[in-house]
Amino acid sequence: MVEPKGQRRLFLILSTAPAVLLFAVTVVFPLVTGLGYSLFKWSGTSGKRRFIGLDNYLQLIRDPLVPAVIGHDMFLVVVKIVGIMLCAVFFAVALTQFKLKEAPFYRVVFFFPQVMAAVTIGVLWIFVFNNDLGLVNGLLRAAGLGSLARPWLGDPAWALVSIAVPVIWAGVGFFMLMIVSAISGISSSLLEASQLDGAGRWRQFWSITVPLIWPQLRDAIVYIAITSLNGAFILVMVMTNGGPDNATQLMGSYLMEQAFTRYNFGYAAAIGALIMVVASTTVLVLRLLMRRNPLED
Amino acid sequence: MVTRRSVLAGAAGVAGAVAGTSLLTACSGGNDNGSSGGGDTGGPVSGELEIQYFIGGYGDAWWNQVFADFETANPEVKIVKHGGSTIHQEMKSRWISNDPPDLVEIEGAGISESQMVADGQLLDLTEWLPTVKLDDGSALQDRFIAPANTYENAVYSVPLIYDNRGTWFDQSWFTQQGWDVPTDLDSWQSSMSRIKQEAGIAPMATTGVYPTVFLTGVLYPAFAGVGGAQLLNALIDGDEGAWTDPAVHEIATTVQEWVKAGFIDPGFASLTHTQAQMNFLRHQNAYVPTGFWLPNEMKADVPADFEFGVIPTPFNEPGAKMTVVPEVKTIAVAEKAKNPDAAKAFIKFIMSEKYAADFARLSGGMLNIKGIDFATSKDVPAYLQSANALLSDAEKVQLEYMAHPMHADLSTPVGNALVSLLLGSTDAAGFVEAADKAAAAYRANR
Repeated sequence: MVEPKGQRRLFLILSTAPAVLLFAVTVVFPLVTGLGYSLFKWSGTSGKRRFIGLDNYLQLIRDPLVPAVIGHDMFLVVVKIVGIMLCAVFFAVALTQFKLKEAPFYRVVFFFPQVMAAVTIGVLWIFVFNNDLGLVNGLLRAAGLGSLARPWLGDPAWALVSIAVPVIWAGVGFFMLMIVSAISGISSSLLEASQLDGAGRWRQFWSITVPLIWPQLRDAIVYIAITSLNGAFILVMVMTNGGPDNATQLMGSYLMEQAFTRYNFGYAAAIGALIMVVASTTVLVLRLLMRRNPLED
Repeated sequence: MVTRRSVLAGAAGVAGAVAGTSLLTACSGGNDNGSSGGGDTGGPVSGELEIQYFIGGYGDAWWNQVFADFETANPEVKIVKHGGSTIHQEMKSRWISNDPPDLVEIEGAGISESQMVADGQLLDLTEWLPTVKLDDGSALQDRFIAPANTYENAVYSVPLIYDNRGTWFDQSWFTQQGWDVPTDLDSWQSSMSRIKQEAGIAPMATTGVYPTVFLTGVLYPAFAGVGGAQLLNALIDGDEGAWTDPAVHEIATTVQEWVKAGFIDPGFASLTHTQAQMNFLRHQNAYVPTGFWLPNEMKADVPADFEFGVIPTPFNEPGAKMTVVPEVKTIAVAEKAKNPDAAKAFIKFIMSEKYAADFARLSGGMLNIKGIDFATSKDVPAYLQSANALLSDAEKVQLEYMAHPMHADLSTPVGNALVSLLLGSTDAAGFVEAADKAAAAYRANR
């Protein structure tokens, strides 16, 4: 029996309505409200608000800190992508193609940071980098390299680089599993055939594995960029609070500072809009750069 | 020099000798009509009384006692407590939705009296405060050590806790090493130089995560010492030209010299105030400029042979008086309080000699009430007795008062510039320029 068109349409609407409603409440409403707040001068602590139009955006353009803050975010995006992908791909290949007996154990160990709360990770690494009691300086001094020891999180030249380490450490596990799953989908006959043709491990990796898992690699890179721009500031808030003197300030942590420390909630909402624009642009650029699949070449 | 036993007999705490310049507004008696802006609320009160208060370095033992005593004295009142270390963030939505608690203690992170005044969230107490009489008939305002904060001559809060910043040291370690306690800038710098040489440590601990501790603990007394309350308040308000005052540049240059001499702990920038204080307790540093919460906050970690000593930050020239800039923690009635009468009655109840003595005993700090004889109380910590005695000595110490605290929208960028100065990343001129720019932006944003 052919379903009437109206009935089919009703069915589709009812099926998608809960998801659309959830999306509207959790994504669209906060987005529109946030953009609305950016048009007001508001402390964020009272019901008193004053409409000021685009003044917050003009202030954003004039703020000398904004270019540096965007630069810090971009630095972390690049370092995270390179660091996480190198480690995740290496571990994934090792766990799937090196036939290690302890592979299940290593899977748990590498994934463990993923289940730790960001605050816990931040506090842990504060102690790792501690100038006097920390593991890094302790190892350097034990190895006779005490001259290299420094207050890592208190040195403007090294603070952001130091934060990149736990950011990468915490992210490797998830993407390693993602790539393990992708590699596991490659038919073993392809690798065996290439081996028979005389291909070494490197050739197998670049000519077979990478092209076949390229969609997952591309998605992982885009996802790393998005999560970096939206979430890396949590570690900054815990470890350095954006200091010393804004050396580790990110867009997210600057938003938090303006909203909750300096009582400029409207301006913070404008920074939120900036984050949305920067994140969208970054994702678009990445997808453009990675649109060709090596498998097609 | 402040020692454990240097308690002045009959000092009666900080009574009388303290140069308590009152900032009383020109209010001639007020009307006792019990309306929300006036009235002494000396009579019985009833109903629910909601109180929002911070639990931090001073703990909550004193609060629990006064709540219980107030309810006993006013059986018709039920106190609803909202206390904690993050209570101001937790209660934020109540203030945004215009449903605030009746009373709020303004201390700790996440709250700003200046912002609350700007947002019209606090009840104007200008008329009420002068009418409040204590049980002995004296006016409450006359018994304040530090006057109430004012905003264009209006009062919106009652100064509850008399907090001071001081420069702390381990008296027993100093005695053991033969180090003299400094009395002025020259002797302080000589002391730091000697300590660096003999102990091989950076003499001064401070926090880079909360640079306002150094700002208020070292620079405020320095600014007030040369320019009095006028310069200090101009800097706090970000007045045009204040931060480019030559005196500010001179003080910043002194700090710059400290950095060059290696007096500041090189790892300070990543430390919170408790981490800096912990390093101080471990003798990694000899001095830490911080608030009077130090002994109570760190009590679980104080070594057995450690003896707290504290002096006003000695930025004064030889022969000149040390300057102290008190920083009061306040308590205020919400503009939209449901039970303002009970709120005012509670304030009057706790501002007494009895609860001032209890505060010293239970929290290790000072309530903003004159006339407490710490000298005769064995429960008051020795460092507090000594500090009290020194603060009472008008020959050695002068007090200068802030009209109100610096707004975070100015203190944050100034604090960032200060971190750069203390790191050696910028010089005095750079610090002054950055602070001046921050002040200009702050004025434009108000």
